[in-house]
Amino acid sequence: MFTKKKLIVSDVMLGLDQFSVLGEQAILKDAFEKMSYWNLGISCIVNSEKKLLGVLTDGDIRRNILKIQKTLSQLFVDDALIHAVKKPVTVSSSTSLSQAINLMEEKRIWDLPVVSNNNTLQGLLHLHPAIKALLNES
Amino acid sequence: MSNKAIEIGSGLVKKVKIGKNLPLVFIGGPCAIESRSHADKMANEISEICLRLDIPWIFKSCYDKDCRSSLNSFHGVGVDDGLNILSDIRKDYKVPVTSDFSDPAWAKPTGEVCDLVQVPAYLCRQTSILKAAAFTGKPIHLKKGQFMSPWNMKNSVRKIESFGNNQILLTDRGTFMGYNMLVNDMRCLPIMSETGYPVCFDATHSIQLPTSMGDISGGQREYIPCLVRAAAGCGINALFMEVHDDPDNALSDANTVLDLKYLECVLSQAKRVHELRLDLLKEFGEDNVHKEEANCF
Repeated sequence: MFTKKKLIVSDVMLGLDQFSVLGEQAILKDAFEKMSYWNLGISCIVNSEKKLLGVLTDGDIRRNILKIQKTLSQLFVDDALIHAVKKPVTVSSSTSLSQAINLMEEKRIWDLPVVSNNNTLQGLLHLHPAIKALLNES
Repeated sequence: MSNKAIEIGSGLVKKVKIGKNLPLVFIGGPCAIESRSHADKMANEISEICLRLDIPWIFKSCYDKDCRSSLNSFHGVGVDDGLNILSDIRKDYKVPVTSDFSDPAWAKPTGEVCDLVQVPAYLCRQTSILKAAAFTGKPIHLKKGQFMSPWNMKNSVRKIESFGNNQILLTDRGTFMGYNMLVNDMRCLPIMSETGYPVCFDATHSIQLPTSMGDISGGQREYIPCLVRAAAGCGINALFMEVHDDPDNALSDANTVLDLKYLECVLSQAKRVHELRLDLLKEFGEDNVHKEEANCF
Protein backbone atom coordinates (compact mmCIF):
# COMPACT_ATOMS: atom_id res chain seq x y z
CA MET A 1 0.00 0.00 0.00
CA PHE A 2 1.42 3.41 -0.97
CA THR A 3 1.11 6.10 1.68
CA LYS A 4 2.94 9.05 0.08
CA LYS A 5 0.68 12.09 -0.17
CA LYS A 6 2.96 14.71 -1.64
CA LEU A 7 2.44 14.14 -5.34
CA ILE A 8 -0.94 14.77 -6.89
CA VAL A 9 -2.39 13.56 -10.19
CA SER A 10 -1.77 16.81 -12.09
CA ASP A 11 1.97 16.45 -11.41
CA VAL A 12 2.33 13.39 -13.59
CA MET A 13 -0.75 13.14 -15.80
CA LEU A 14 -0.39 13.16 -19.57
CA GLY A 15 -1.68 16.30 -21.30
CA LEU A 16 -4.43 16.20 -23.92
CA ASP A 17 -1.80 16.20 -26.66
CA GLN A 18 -0.01 13.16 -25.26
CA PHE A 19 -2.56 10.39 -25.67
CA SER A 20 -5.47 9.41 -27.89
CA VAL A 21 -8.38 11.87 -27.58
CA LEU A 22 -11.15 11.35 -30.11
CA GLY A 23 -14.24 13.29 -31.19
CA GLU A 24 -17.63 11.64 -30.82
CA GLN A 25 -17.85 10.83 -34.54
CA ALA A 26 -14.49 9.06 -34.64
CA ILE A 27 -14.68 5.55 -36.02
CA LEU A 28 -12.92 2.54 -34.57
CA LYS A 29 -10.22 2.68 -37.23
CA ASP A 30 -9.30 6.18 -36.03
CA ALA A 31 -9.09 4.86 -32.48
CA PHE A 32 -6.81 1.98 -33.50
CA GLU A 33 -4.47 4.35 -35.34
CA LYS A 34 -4.28 6.87 -32.53
CA MET A 35 -3.85 4.27 -29.81
CA SER A 36 -1.05 2.69 -31.83
CA TYR A 37 0.55 6.10 -32.43
CA TRP A 38 0.64 6.90 -28.72
CA ASN A 39 1.41 3.29 -27.79
CA LEU A 40 -1.31 3.35 -25.14
CA GLY A 41 -4.26 0.97 -25.07
CA ILE A 42 -6.80 3.63 -24.32
CA SER A 43 -8.75 6.38 -26.09
CA CYS A 44 -10.84 9.05 -24.43
CA ILE A 45 -13.86 10.17 -26.46
CA VAL A 46 -15.04 13.73 -25.92
CA ASN A 47 -17.69 16.03 -27.35
CA SER A 48 -16.96 19.44 -28.91
CA GLU A 49 -16.72 20.95 -25.41
CA LYS A 50 -14.17 18.34 -24.35
CA LYS A 51 -16.67 16.69 -22.00
CA LEU A 52 -15.76 13.03 -21.52
CA LEU A 53 -18.31 10.76 -23.25
CA GLY A 54 -16.58 7.45 -22.90
CA VAL A 55 -13.35 5.52 -22.65
CA LEU A 56 -12.25 2.83 -25.06
CA THR A 57 -9.56 0.32 -24.14
CA ASP A 58 -7.86 -2.61 -25.82
CA GLY A 59 -9.81 -4.86 -23.47
CA ASP A 60 -13.18 -3.37 -24.49
CA ILE A 61 -12.37 -3.99 -28.14
CA ARG A 62 -11.13 -7.51 -27.46
CA ARG A 63 -14.29 -8.44 -25.54
CA ASN A 64 -16.56 -6.82 -28.14
CA ILE A 65 -14.89 -8.64 -31.04
CA LEU A 66 -15.62 -11.96 -29.33
CA LYS A 67 -19.21 -10.97 -28.66
CA ILE A 68 -20.18 -9.16 -31.85
CA GLN A 69 -18.39 -11.18 -34.56
CA LYS A 70 -18.61 -8.53 -37.23
CA THR A 71 -16.33 -8.55 -40.24
CA LEU A 72 -13.25 -6.41 -39.76
CA SER A 73 -14.40 -3.92 -42.41
CA GLN A 74 -17.70 -3.45 -40.59
CA LEU A 75 -15.99 -3.13 -37.23
CA PHE A 76 -13.57 -0.48 -38.56
CA VAL A 77 -16.42 1.87 -39.46
CA ASP A 78 -18.30 1.52 -36.18
CA ASP A 79 -18.38 4.66 -34.07
CA ALA A 80 -15.67 4.22 -31.46
CA LEU A 81 -18.13 5.50 -28.88
CA ILE A 82 -20.45 2.51 -29.17
CA HIS A 83 -17.63 0.22 -28.05
CA ALA A 84 -16.59 2.53 -25.21
CA VAL A 85 -17.42 2.41 -21.52
CA LYS A 86 -19.82 5.31 -21.05
CA LYS A 87 -19.35 5.85 -17.32
CA PRO A 88 -15.65 5.21 -16.78
CA VAL A 89 -13.76 5.48 -13.54
CA THR A 90 -12.13 8.94 -13.40
CA VAL A 91 -10.12 11.07 -11.01
CA SER A 92 -9.70 14.79 -10.45
CA SER A 93 -6.36 16.47 -11.02
CA SER A 94 -6.02 17.27 -7.31
CA THR A 95 -6.33 13.66 -6.18
CA SER A 96 -3.20 12.40 -4.47
CA LEU A 97 -1.10 10.15 -6.66
CA SER A 98 -1.12 7.34 -4.13
CA GLN A 99 -4.90 7.45 -3.92
CA ALA A 100 -5.16 7.33 -7.69
CA ILE A 101 -2.79 4.37 -7.91
CA ASN A 102 -4.73 2.55 -5.22
CA LEU A 103 -7.88 3.19 -7.22
CA MET A 104 -6.26 1.69 -10.31
CA GLU A 105 -5.22 -1.35 -8.30
CA GLU A 106 -8.70 -1.70 -6.86
CA LYS A 107 -10.38 -1.44 -10.29
CA ARG A 108 -7.60 -3.42 -12.02
CA ILE A 109 -7.04 -0.73 -14.65
CA TRP A 110 -3.94 0.88 -16.06
CA ASP A 111 -5.22 4.34 -16.88
CA LEU A 112 -7.44 6.95 -15.29
CA PRO A 113 -8.96 9.83 -17.25
CA VAL A 114 -8.55 13.07 -15.34
CA VAL A 115 -11.64 15.28 -15.40
CA SER A 116 -12.78 18.54 -13.84
CA ASN A 117 -15.92 18.92 -11.71
CA ASN A 118 -18.03 19.36 -14.83
CA ASN A 119 -16.54 16.26 -16.48
CA THR A 120 -14.23 18.14 -18.84
CA LEU A 121 -11.29 15.97 -19.83
CA GLN A 122 -8.01 17.40 -18.56
CA GLY A 123 -5.56 14.58 -19.00
CA LEU A 124 -4.78 10.94 -18.41
CA LEU A 125 -3.01 9.24 -15.55
CA HIS A 126 -1.06 6.25 -16.84
CA LEU A 127 0.19 3.68 -14.36
CA HIS A 128 3.86 3.55 -15.40
CA PRO A 129 4.76 7.26 -15.12
CA ALA A 130 2.70 7.43 -11.94
CA ILE A 131 4.71 4.67 -10.27
CA LYS A 132 7.96 6.05 -11.63
CA ALA A 133 7.15 9.44 -10.10
CA LEU A 134 6.40 7.87 -6.74
CA LEU A 135 9.63 5.86 -6.82
CA ASN A 136 11.63 8.96 -7.72
CA GLU A 137 10.04 10.83 -4.87
CA SER A 138 10.99 8.23 -2.29
CA MET B 1 -34.02 1.36 -36.55
CA SER B 2 -34.46 4.67 -38.33
CA ASN B 3 -36.07 7.39 -36.32
CA LYS B 4 -35.52 10.53 -38.38
CA ALA B 5 -38.55 11.11 -40.59
CA ILE B 6 -38.07 13.14 -43.75
CA GLU B 7 -40.75 15.26 -45.38
CA ILE B 8 -40.92 15.56 -49.14
CA GLY B 9 -42.91 18.14 -51.07
CA SER B 10 -44.02 21.70 -50.55
CA GLY B 11 -46.61 24.16 -51.77
CA LEU B 12 -49.54 22.65 -53.65
CA VAL B 13 -47.99 19.23 -53.70
CA LYS B 14 -49.32 16.62 -51.32
CA LYS B 15 -46.54 16.26 -48.77
CA VAL B 16 -45.12 12.80 -48.22
CA LYS B 17 -43.50 11.80 -44.96
CA ILE B 18 -41.09 8.86 -44.85
CA GLY B 19 -40.05 7.41 -41.52
CA LYS B 20 -40.57 5.06 -38.64
CA ASN B 21 -44.09 3.72 -38.04
CA LEU B 22 -45.42 5.70 -41.02
CA PRO B 23 -47.26 4.29 -44.03
CA LEU B 24 -45.07 2.78 -46.72
CA VAL B 25 -44.25 5.32 -49.43
CA PHE B 26 -43.93 4.36 -53.08
CA ILE B 27 -41.35 6.06 -55.30
CA GLY B 28 -41.82 5.15 -58.93
CA GLY B 29 -42.31 5.88 -62.57
CA PRO B 30 -40.63 5.11 -65.86
CA CYS B 31 -36.85 4.88 -65.62
CA ALA B 32 -36.39 7.67 -68.14
CA ILE B 33 -38.67 10.44 -69.30
CA GLU B 34 -39.37 9.21 -72.80
CA SER B 35 -41.75 11.97 -73.87
CA ARG B 36 -44.15 14.42 -72.29
CA SER B 37 -47.17 12.36 -73.23
CA HIS B 38 -45.70 9.10 -71.96
CA ALA B 39 -44.59 10.61 -68.64
CA ASP B 40 -48.04 12.13 -68.23
CA LYS B 41 -49.77 8.86 -69.01
CA MET B 42 -47.61 6.99 -66.51
CA ALA B 43 -48.15 9.60 -63.80
CA ASN B 44 -51.89 9.39 -64.39
CA GLU B 45 -52.01 5.60 -64.22
CA ILE B 46 -49.77 5.32 -61.14
CA SER B 47 -51.65 8.12 -59.43
CA GLU B 48 -54.91 6.25 -59.81
CA ILE B 49 -53.44 3.03 -58.46
CA CYS B 50 -51.89 4.76 -55.44
CA LEU B 51 -55.13 6.59 -54.78
CA ARG B 52 -57.05 3.33 -54.85
CA LEU B 53 -54.59 1.67 -52.50
CA ASP B 54 -54.18 4.77 -50.34
CA ILE B 55 -50.40 4.71 -50.74
CA PRO B 56 -48.50 8.01 -50.60
CA TRP B 57 -46.19 8.26 -53.58
CA ILE B 58 -43.53 10.25 -55.42
CA PHE B 59 -43.20 10.31 -59.21
CA LYS B 60 -39.72 9.35 -60.38
CA SER B 61 -38.33 9.68 -63.86
CA CYS B 62 -34.92 10.78 -65.06
CA TYR B 63 -34.08 13.39 -67.67
CA ASP B 64 -30.56 12.13 -68.39
CA LYS B 65 -29.31 8.56 -68.21
CA ASP B 66 -25.58 9.09 -68.02
CA CYS B 67 -24.68 5.59 -66.88
CA ARG B 68 -25.93 3.58 -69.86
CA SER B 69 -23.64 0.79 -70.96
CA SER B 70 -23.79 1.74 -74.62
CA LEU B 71 -23.48 5.07 -76.42
CA ASN B 72 -26.29 3.86 -78.64
CA SER B 73 -28.76 3.56 -75.76
CA PHE B 74 -31.33 6.26 -75.12
CA HIS B 75 -29.67 9.01 -73.11
CA GLY B 76 -32.69 11.05 -72.12
CA VAL B 77 -34.59 14.18 -73.06
CA GLY B 78 -32.10 16.46 -71.33
CA VAL B 79 -32.14 18.72 -68.29
CA ASP B 80 -34.33 21.57 -69.54
CA ASP B 81 -37.06 19.56 -71.26
CA GLY B 82 -37.02 16.91 -68.58
CA LEU B 83 -37.41 19.31 -65.69
CA ASN B 84 -40.20 21.15 -67.54
CA ILE B 85 -42.09 17.88 -67.85
CA LEU B 86 -41.48 16.97 -64.20
CA SER B 87 -42.62 20.43 -63.15
CA ASP B 88 -45.88 20.02 -65.08
CA ILE B 89 -46.52 16.55 -63.64
CA ARG B 90 -45.92 18.00 -60.20
CA LYS B 91 -48.55 20.69 -60.80
CA ASP B 92 -51.08 18.54 -62.61
CA TYR B 93 -51.07 15.63 -60.18
CA LYS B 94 -50.00 17.51 -57.04
CA VAL B 95 -47.47 14.77 -56.47
CA PRO B 96 -43.85 15.26 -55.39
CA VAL B 97 -41.38 14.49 -58.17
CA THR B 98 -37.82 13.24 -58.26
CA SER B 99 -35.01 12.61 -60.71
CA ASP B 100 -31.41 11.64 -60.25
CA PHE B 101 -28.60 13.87 -61.48
CA SER B 102 -25.12 12.74 -62.42
CA ASP B 103 -23.36 16.07 -62.93
CA PRO B 104 -22.92 18.56 -60.06
CA ALA B 105 -23.89 21.35 -62.47
CA TRP B 106 -27.38 19.84 -62.81
CA ALA B 107 -28.03 19.84 -59.06
CA LYS B 108 -29.33 23.40 -58.79
CA PRO B 109 -31.97 23.22 -61.53
CA THR B 110 -32.93 19.73 -60.35
CA GLY B 111 -33.42 20.97 -56.81
CA GLU B 112 -35.49 23.91 -58.04
CA VAL B 113 -38.06 21.56 -59.56
CA CYS B 114 -37.75 18.25 -57.74
CA ASP B 115 -38.97 17.67 -54.21
CA LEU B 116 -36.42 14.90 -53.70
CA VAL B 117 -33.03 14.76 -55.43
CA GLN B 118 -31.55 11.38 -56.18
CA VAL B 119 -27.88 10.46 -56.13
CA PRO B 120 -27.15 7.56 -58.49
CA ALA B 121 -25.75 4.45 -56.84
CA TYR B 122 -22.56 4.54 -58.93
CA LEU B 123 -21.85 8.03 -57.57
CA CYS B 124 -22.84 7.44 -53.96
CA ARG B 125 -19.48 8.42 -52.54
CA GLN B 126 -18.61 11.12 -55.08
CA THR B 127 -18.00 14.14 -52.87
CA SER B 128 -18.81 16.73 -55.55
CA ILE B 129 -22.19 15.08 -56.22
CA LEU B 130 -23.02 14.71 -52.53
CA LYS B 131 -22.08 18.33 -51.89
CA ALA B 132 -24.17 19.54 -54.81
CA ALA B 133 -27.11 17.42 -53.63
CA ALA B 134 -26.81 18.77 -50.08
CA PHE B 135 -26.71 22.36 -51.29
CA THR B 136 -30.04 22.01 -53.09
CA GLY B 137 -31.59 22.04 -49.62
CA LYS B 138 -33.94 19.29 -50.73
CA PRO B 139 -34.19 15.82 -49.17
CA ILE B 140 -31.67 13.46 -50.75
CA HIS B 141 -32.33 9.96 -51.99
CA LEU B 142 -28.96 8.23 -51.67
CA LYS B 143 -28.66 4.80 -53.22
CA LYS B 144 -26.12 2.35 -51.91
CA GLY B 145 -23.57 1.60 -54.62
CA GLN B 146 -23.57 -1.99 -55.79
CA PHE B 147 -19.91 -2.08 -54.76
CA MET B 148 -20.49 -0.66 -51.27
CA SER B 149 -21.08 -2.40 -47.98
CA PRO B 150 -24.08 -1.06 -46.08
CA TRP B 151 -21.93 0.06 -43.16
CA ASN B 152 -19.66 2.09 -45.44
CA MET B 153 -22.66 4.21 -46.46
CA LYS B 154 -22.11 6.01 -43.19
CA ASN B 155 -19.17 7.82 -44.81
CA SER B 156 -21.46 9.27 -47.50
CA VAL B 157 -24.11 10.13 -44.91
CA ARG B 158 -21.52 12.02 -42.90
CA LYS B 159 -20.36 13.88 -45.99
CA ILE B 160 -23.91 15.05 -46.67
CA GLU B 161 -24.43 16.03 -43.04
CA SER B 162 -21.19 17.98 -43.05
CA PHE B 163 -22.54 19.98 -46.01
CA GLY B 164 -25.53 20.98 -43.90
CA ASN B 165 -28.25 18.60 -45.09
CA ASN B 166 -29.81 16.02 -42.80
CA GLN B 167 -32.77 14.89 -44.88
CA ILE B 168 -31.57 11.58 -46.29
CA LEU B 169 -33.23 8.43 -47.58
CA LEU B 170 -30.94 5.40 -47.98
CA THR B 171 -31.74 2.74 -50.54
CA ASP B 172 -30.53 -0.77 -51.26
CA ARG B 173 -30.53 -1.66 -54.94
CA GLY B 174 -28.50 -4.85 -54.76
CA THR B 175 -24.86 -5.69 -54.33
CA PHE B 176 -22.45 -7.08 -56.91
CA MET B 177 -21.73 -10.76 -56.62
CA GLY B 178 -18.86 -11.31 -59.02
CA TYR B 179 -19.55 -10.06 -62.55
CA ASN B 180 -22.93 -9.20 -64.13
CA MET B 181 -24.86 -10.32 -61.07
CA LEU B 182 -26.52 -8.62 -58.14
CA VAL B 183 -27.75 -10.14 -54.91
CA ASN B 184 -29.79 -8.68 -52.09
CA ASP B 185 -28.51 -8.96 -48.59
CA MET B 186 -31.58 -7.92 -46.61
CA ARG B 187 -29.34 -7.12 -43.66
CA CYS B 188 -28.46 -3.98 -45.64
CA LEU B 189 -31.78 -2.49 -44.55
CA PRO B 190 -31.46 -2.67 -40.76
CA ILE B 191 -27.75 -1.89 -40.99
CA MET B 192 -28.32 1.30 -43.01
CA SER B 193 -31.24 2.27 -40.79
CA GLU B 194 -28.85 2.35 -37.86
CA THR B 195 -27.77 5.72 -39.26
CA GLY B 196 -31.13 6.93 -37.97
CA TYR B 197 -32.34 7.76 -41.49
CA PRO B 198 -35.25 6.03 -43.23
CA VAL B 199 -34.49 3.24 -45.67
CA CYS B 200 -35.93 2.21 -49.01
CA PHE B 201 -35.75 -0.91 -51.15
CA ASP B 202 -35.29 -0.59 -54.91
CA ALA B 203 -36.92 -3.75 -56.21
CA THR B 204 -36.50 -3.25 -59.94
CA HIS B 205 -32.78 -2.45 -59.97
CA SER B 206 -32.17 -5.27 -57.51
CA ILE B 207 -33.19 -7.84 -60.11
CA GLN B 208 -30.89 -6.31 -62.72
CA LEU B 209 -28.12 -8.37 -64.29
CA PRO B 210 -25.72 -5.51 -64.98
CA THR B 211 -24.51 -5.37 -68.59
CA SER B 212 -25.19 -9.09 -68.86
CA MET B 213 -26.36 -8.77 -72.45
CA GLY B 214 -23.20 -7.43 -74.01
CA ASP B 215 -23.91 -3.74 -74.12
CA ILE B 216 -27.13 -3.59 -72.11
CA SER B 217 -28.29 -4.90 -68.75
CA GLY B 218 -30.55 -7.89 -68.37
CA GLY B 219 -32.90 -8.61 -65.54
CA GLN B 220 -35.11 -11.17 -63.87
CA ARG B 221 -38.38 -9.33 -63.35
CA GLU B 222 -40.10 -12.44 -62.07
CA TYR B 223 -38.31 -12.01 -58.75
CA ILE B 224 -39.71 -8.53 -58.05
CA PRO B 225 -42.69 -9.63 -55.91
CA CYS B 226 -40.76 -11.98 -53.64
CA LEU B 227 -38.02 -9.44 -53.05
CA VAL B 228 -40.61 -6.75 -52.32
CA ARG B 229 -42.30 -8.97 -49.73
CA ALA B 230 -38.94 -9.88 -48.19
CA ALA B 231 -37.84 -6.25 -47.93
CA ALA B 232 -41.17 -5.06 -46.53
CA GLY B 233 -41.03 -7.83 -43.96
CA CYS B 234 -37.46 -6.96 -43.06
CA GLY B 235 -38.34 -3.32 -42.53
CA ILE B 236 -38.44 -0.45 -45.02
CA ASN B 237 -39.95 2.99 -45.01
CA ALA B 238 -40.26 3.38 -48.77
CA LEU B 239 -40.37 1.14 -51.82
CA PHE B 240 -38.81 2.13 -55.14
CA MET B 241 -39.81 0.53 -58.43
CA GLU B 242 -39.50 1.63 -62.02
CA VAL B 243 -42.70 1.00 -63.92
CA HIS B 244 -43.55 0.98 -67.60
CA ASP B 245 -46.73 0.30 -69.55
CA ASP B 246 -44.78 -1.46 -72.31
CA PRO B 247 -41.57 -2.85 -70.77
CA ASP B 248 -40.33 -4.57 -73.90
CA ASN B 249 -40.24 -1.25 -75.69
CA ALA B 250 -39.09 0.88 -72.77
CA LEU B 251 -36.27 3.19 -73.81
CA SER B 252 -34.33 2.55 -70.59
CA ASP B 253 -33.97 -0.51 -68.35
CA ALA B 254 -36.41 -2.51 -70.44
CA ASN B 255 -35.31 -5.75 -68.82
CA THR B 256 -35.91 -4.63 -65.26
CA VAL B 257 -38.93 -2.32 -65.19
CA LEU B 258 -42.11 -3.67 -63.69
CA ASP B 259 -45.00 -3.95 -66.10
CA LEU B 260 -47.63 -1.41 -65.08
CA LYS B 261 -50.27 -4.11 -65.19
CA TYR B 262 -48.64 -5.75 -62.14
CA LEU B 263 -48.12 -2.59 -60.11
CA GLU B 264 -51.35 -2.75 -58.14
CA CYS B 265 -50.75 -6.38 -57.24
CA VAL B 266 -47.18 -5.78 -56.05
CA LEU B 267 -47.98 -2.58 -54.18
CA SER B 268 -50.95 -4.22 -52.44
CA GLN B 269 -48.68 -6.95 -51.13
CA ALA B 270 -46.01 -4.50 -50.08
CA LYS B 271 -48.55 -2.48 -48.16
CA ARG B 272 -50.03 -5.55 -46.46
CA VAL B 273 -46.62 -6.89 -45.39
CA HIS B 274 -45.56 -3.44 -44.19
CA GLU B 275 -48.68 -3.11 -42.07
CA LEU B 276 -48.30 -6.62 -40.73
CA ARG B 277 -44.74 -5.85 -39.71
CA LEU B 278 -45.83 -2.71 -37.86
CA ASP B 279 -48.53 -4.74 -36.09
CA LEU B 280 -45.99 -7.38 -35.09
CA LEU B 281 -43.62 -4.77 -33.72
CA LYS B 282 -46.48 -3.30 -31.73
CA GLU B 283 -47.39 -6.71 -30.35
CA PHE B 284 -43.93 -8.15 -29.71
CA GLY B 285 -41.84 -5.02 -29.30
CA GLU B 286 -39.12 -3.49 -31.45
CA ASP B 287 -36.44 -5.64 -33.08
CA ASN B 288 -34.45 -5.79 -29.86
CA VAL B 289 -33.39 -9.42 -29.92
CA HIS B 290 -29.67 -9.47 -29.09
CA LYS B 291 -29.68 -5.75 -29.84
CA GLU B 292 -26.64 -5.22 -27.64
CA GLU B 293 -24.64 -7.16 -30.21
CA ALA B 294 -25.79 -5.12 -33.21
CA ASN B 295 -24.55 -1.56 -32.71
CA CYS B 296 -23.61 -0.93 -36.29
CA PHE B 297 -23.22 2.84 -36.24
